[in-house]
Amino acid sequence: METQLRTSTEPIPYREPTALAVRGVSKTFTGTAALTSFDLTIAAGEVHALVGENGSGKSTVIKILSGYHQPDPGGEVLVRERPLDFGSPDASYSHGCRFVHQDLGLIDASSVADNLAIVAGFPCRLGTVRRKELRSGARRDLARVGLDIDPDRLVATLSPAERTGVAVARALHEDPSHPVALLVLDEPTATLPDREVERLLGIVRAVAARGVGVLYVTHRLDEVFQIADTITVLRDGHRVANLPACDVDRAGLITLLIGSELDDVHAVSAELPPEHDAPLLVAEGIEALHINGVSLEIRPGDVVGIAGITGSGRESLLSVFFGAQRRTAGRVIVQGALLPSGHPARAMKAGVAYIPADRKTLGCFVDLTTEENVSISDLRRLWRWPRLSHKRERAEVSKWIERLDIRPGAAAAMPLSALSGGNQQKVLFAKWLRRTPKLLLMDEPTQGVDVGAKADLHLEILRAARDGAGVAISSSDTDELAALCHRILVLRDGRVVAHLTGSRVTAAEISRACLATDERSGT
Amino acid sequence: MRTPRRFSFGLQTCSGLYLWAAFIITFGIWKPDLFLTSATVHSIASSQAIAAMLALALLIPLTAGVYDLSVGAVINVSTILVVEMQTKYHHGMWTAIVVSILVCSAIGAFSGFIVVKLKVNSFVATLGMATIVSAIQLIISDQSQPLPPNSPAWTSLTQKTVFGFQIVVVYLLVLAIIVWWVLDRTPVGRYLYAIGGSPEAARLSGVAVGRWSWLSLIASSTIAGTAGVFYASLSGPSLTYGQALLLPAFAAVFLGSTQLKPGRANTWGTLLAVFVLATGVQGLQFVTGVLWLNSMFNGVALIAAVSFAVWRQGRPAKAHRERSTDIEHQPTDDAVERDRLAASGASTHQAQPG
Ligand SMILES: Nc1ncnc2c1ncn2[C@@H]1O[C@H](COP(=O)(O)OP(=O)(O)OP(=O)(O)O)[C@@H](O)[C@H]1O
Ligand SMILES: [Mg+2]
Repeated sequence: METQLRTSTEPIPYREPTALAVRGVSKTFTGTAALTSFDLTIAAGEVHALVGENGSGKSTVIKILSGYHQPDPGGEVLVRERPLDFGSPDASYSHGCRFVHQDLGLIDASSVADNLAIVAGFPCRLGTVRRKELRSGARRDLARVGLDIDPDRLVATLSPAERTGVAVARALHEDPSHPVALLVLDEPTATLPDREVERLLGIVRAVAARGVGVLYVTHRLDEVFQIADTITVLRDGHRVANLPACDVDRAGLITLLIGSELDDVHAVSAELPPEHDAPLLVAEGIEALHINGVSLEIRPGDVVGIAGITGSGRESLLSVFFGAQRRTAGRVIVQGALLPSGHPARAMKAGVAYIPADRKTLGCFVDLTTEENVSISDLRRLWRWPRLSHKRERAEVSKWIERLDIRPGAAAAMPLSALSGGNQQKVLFAKWLRRTPKLLLMDEPTQGVDVGAKADLHLEILRAARDGAGVAISSSDTDELAALCHRILVLRDGRVVAHLTGSRVTAAEISRACLATDERSGT
Repeated sequence: MRTPRRFSFGLQTCSGLYLWAAFIITFGIWKPDLFLTSATVHSIASSQAIAAMLALALLIPLTAGVYDLSVGAVINVSTILVVEMQTKYHHGMWTAIVVSILVCSAIGAFSGFIVVKLKVNSFVATLGMATIVSAIQLIISDQSQPLPPNSPAWTSLTQKTVFGFQIVVVYLLVLAIIVWWVLDRTPVGRYLYAIGGSPEAARLSGVAVGRWSWLSLIASSTIAGTAGVFYASLSGPSLTYGQALLLPAFAAVFLGSTQLKPGRANTWGTLLAVFVLATGVQGLQFVTGVLWLNSMFNGVALIAAVSFAVWRQGRPAKAHRERSTDIEHQPTDDAVERDRLAASGASTHQAQPG
């Protein structure tokens, strides 16, 4: 990811008046309206931000555009003034709509080149895939977004930022018979560190400059102001605002988003001095994939942040502590008990909770109900011979749904796949907080969560710390780290290269520390 | 899963029940004197009891996403073993039964070892086991069909009648209740479904993935072994019936997963599937006696029923709103869409959106 931004600067084609026009589109799921008579217009070359709380219907809009959902009868969608057939991914593609979905939609077990070709089709002669052409095409696509990855690498081996890059490259793949008219990105930056966000925004700008309309969904409001020309705000499936980005400021946008004002600067944990108790976690000389000797102590009430650029080890450190990933050397001791390597059940028994960064595949069971997802973390307390007490389960889960404001309120019996991304993340919080863990390890804890809910989740984390838990947070969001943590460990090449405490725990300082170390060893 | 307090009899969850009723009415009108008799009911019930037990055996590992292809061979070797021990080696009936079932459990334990410890894909491991077990069966039986033991206790083990039904039907019911209880009412069931949903996420939730997968294979082999003993007592020894039962049992489990709790392999759905198919076959056999009917009917029914379920669930909001009073049993668009996407594979212009 070190290469400079290289975006092809082709001559600007003739300007078309609108890239996308959506008129009166609604979508109802089992009696509940996810989207009500929605209108949206995006001019060619315009970057349009779509924002809204969790479950407000953003992804639903996108899934309708991509042909994944069939909307209720009545509305219409025009792409470059041509009406779009609903419910057909092929029609969406041939109209020039390209998507980077919330979960990227890459196939882990396939190579980068195969993933790139899967949308536009493989180059073939007589039904046989032409490997060489496939590979050079892949290189071209990757270069377009400034990525330099071997096309033969498996997607599973890529970092989150590289995956996002591949998904964007795939969306921007040139297909002369179906030129790109509309690029749609659903929370592409949810787990990207600052620098990669910058790069992505650069690519988006360049794409828009070529006359493509861009629909950009994000919960990071700073990005909205950096990139968007126009903003549409959704609340409970209704459009509540549609205005030029220059007409509103951050506070005003938040008010539009949640319908009331939010104290954006929330409780900062810096006032909580770590007590001088025996440490909850002692990690000594940890070595693992991407980790080269990290030592760390966490005491009750401590909130420790882990920062670092992609590939620094930030993504794997906490999962090694928990045992999700194996360690090759070092010791992890939780409350005096030595944890074996690669044994999450033992870590849980010692009072450790772990929220992984990869929600979809590691964090939750999308086919099981919300209830089952929450209670799996401890079923024993629901067991009353001869059966699991469903009444207790429902009562407990309902309590969490209320406490974390998981929506819709009837989520308990719904399969997790029917919840919006941010609400799924809250379900993960419920799953782990119900165990009242002594040590909370969290990777990207508030990914995909809207501003209001994020403040709530932060308070939950601080509350756990105040009650004597130790917390370690690894996040690509430096504002989040600055808001929550007493101290920050900055990683580089699997080692701790900086330790920020006290007044140095600020977003700017964290970014600087991540990048400075990067440059030092980069040259 | 979600315990149904309000159970819906919608077409989506209970199409099998309606189909069953349709069969009974159709054949009842067509051949009232043959079809609408208690003899027919009893014969369907006991002739399908063994097949249903085998389907329940498969169900357990399948909830955890583990395929057990060896149950067909296991049920067969159990039949041969229990008979040979009595007729050739003159052991007592109960010794023979216990030993046969234990041998089958051991086979399951060994499959589990291959799957969990050697990390061989369950499909491959149990396919291999099935072949090995058939070889063992050849060794035991020496390729000749043994004579059935002729003690009355042995035959009355399954053929004693209660309320007109052979007692093997009661055994099936007891087994079904146990399987249902384990899968639906105990933590074990939750663990198995979680593993089936995502083994890695289950591991990170503290579920002992290896242990439960292993135990599920032991359970399936043990149930198959028990079913094999019952078969021997009910129908006498046969050298080849097991393999013939395997695929119909899978069909029943898959068909059953579209019933009652759509999208999830479940106990009563599986039983429903077994008996709906058997009723259809029986009825048609009264109408015409051709031999190919059984397989043809089962195959067509499986494909038709599953496509129907997919089509039904795949329809957009309109279809849902008709039954919008019941939220709990609606499979989501997503789950089905995902299957559709998976089925259409790379040809779609998008992978699964989040
Ligand atoms: N398959 C489904 N079945 C039932 N309800 C659904 C389904 N998919 C989405 N919903 C509901 O539709 C509403 C809108 O969801 P959507 O995913 O569009 O939210 P979102 O704005 O993308 O939220 P987030 O920011 O959390 O990703 C939510 O209330 C959600 O529960
Ligand atoms: Mg979303």
